[in-house]
Amino acid sequence: MDGAHDLGGQQGFGPIEVDSVSEPFNEEWEGREWGMAQCALTPDITIDWWRHCRELILPEDYLTRPYLDSWAQTDFATYIEAGWISLEEVDHRGSLIEVDEPLDPPSTASVDDILKDERNHAVRYHKEVESKPLFSEGQNIVTNKEGVAGHTRLPRYVRGIKGVINAYHGAHVFPDLSAHGKTTHQHLYSVVFACADLWPETQNSKDKVFLDLWESYLTEA
Amino acid sequence: MTNYDAQEVARIHQELRDRLPQDPASRVGALEKILTEKGLVDPQSIDAWVEAYQDHIGPKRGAHVVARAWNDVGFKRRLMADAPAAIDELGYLGRATGHLKVVENTTTVHNLVVCTLCSCYPFSILGMAPAWYKVAAYRSRAVRDPRGVLEEFGVEISNDIEVRVWDSTAELRYLVLPQRPDGTEHFDEDALANLVTRNSMIGTDRDLEVTAPGED
Repeated sequence: MDGAHDLGGQQGFGPIEVDSVSEPFNEEWEGREWGMAQCALTPDITIDWWRHCRELILPEDYLTRPYLDSWAQTDFATYIEAGWISLEEVDHRGSLIEVDEPLDPPSTASVDDILKDERNHAVRYHKEVESKPLFSEGQNIVTNKEGVAGHTRLPRYVRGIKGVINAYHGAHVFPDLSAHGKTTHQHLYSVVFACADLWPETQNSKDKVFLDLWESYLTEA
Repeated sequence: MTNYDAQEVARIHQELRDRLPQDPASRVGALEKILTEKGLVDPQSIDAWVEAYQDHIGPKRGAHVVARAWNDVGFKRRLMADAPAAIDELGYLGRATGHLKVVENTTTVHNLVVCTLCSCYPFSILGMAPAWYKVAAYRSRAVRDPRGVLEEFGVEISNDIEVRVWDSTAELRYLVLPQRPDGTEHFDEDALANLVTRNSMIGTDRDLEVTAPGED
């Protein structure tokens, strides 16, 4: 999706506020949102569907609201789309009707529980697959020129660009389909691009940009 | 049940514009109230999550990993080969580090990490991402003008150093292993960890300042 979220290389955002206070929650609501996102999500959500719902936030809101505020907006949207809460309840600022399929009542987590359980949240997205990877280290590739209407992890700034396979990561969950609730695995590569091939003003640069890209984003160059 | 209907979500976002309160604190408050009343979330669990990331899980973990790598050749080898397994030795494996990758700064290479598409970050070893990491200015410029970005952070990179920018487009997360400063040969692991800044592990800091143990 060619959305406002696809920020790589866009210009006009000005300097970075490098000293902005950020330790670790600036305001109380940020901590509340962080906590909610960790312990309350629709049960059948995928990380890619959630990301896509965040990308669908209206551009003027996406670009101007604080980061964790956009998480709250995304949580609202995913809950409403899945039928767990209604727009009327948003108006009412509280529950109006029972949900169809109540979740198991959440058990109260303590800090100790969270710290002990943290290791179980190191989600692994890769899997052994039968197909062999098409590309190998050092091979020249070119990225797809066209974008796709839905969720994808091939940013605009590397479309139709020649790069080199830096490493093979194994087969990982393919985000374009995971955003539709379908879990499939596809070969994933670290691909390196020369800055000189990406931007007109960096022709003499020897700097490089590395992205992790799925096989169907690439063809042999 | 999730229907994965993007058009519907676009419509919901539009609807929410006029229906949600106008400031972030009230929006998040409304979400917590509705979810709590529906029994979908327990406010005490949220308290615990805040405390966990305020007091326990943060960049000190990353600094410990870096200090161990500087001090223990075997650990460094394991860290570079399989970072999730290596940080698991220290009890730091967790959220967003299941596919952690460590990239090493050298005299000729400087690494910088960004997520241009969302704001992916290795939570279980660095905690919450700093505000600047998540704003459009950083996300847009890190891949196009990394040297300009670094200058704003007070980091000058000479022309003989290659800058490598890592855009976190998949579930891999990146941790920069900064260079060990000279004059720290006799520092123990704790003293070394004290020298490591959060920004140096993202790549917006390079030459670490040496303070004698106990001085900071």
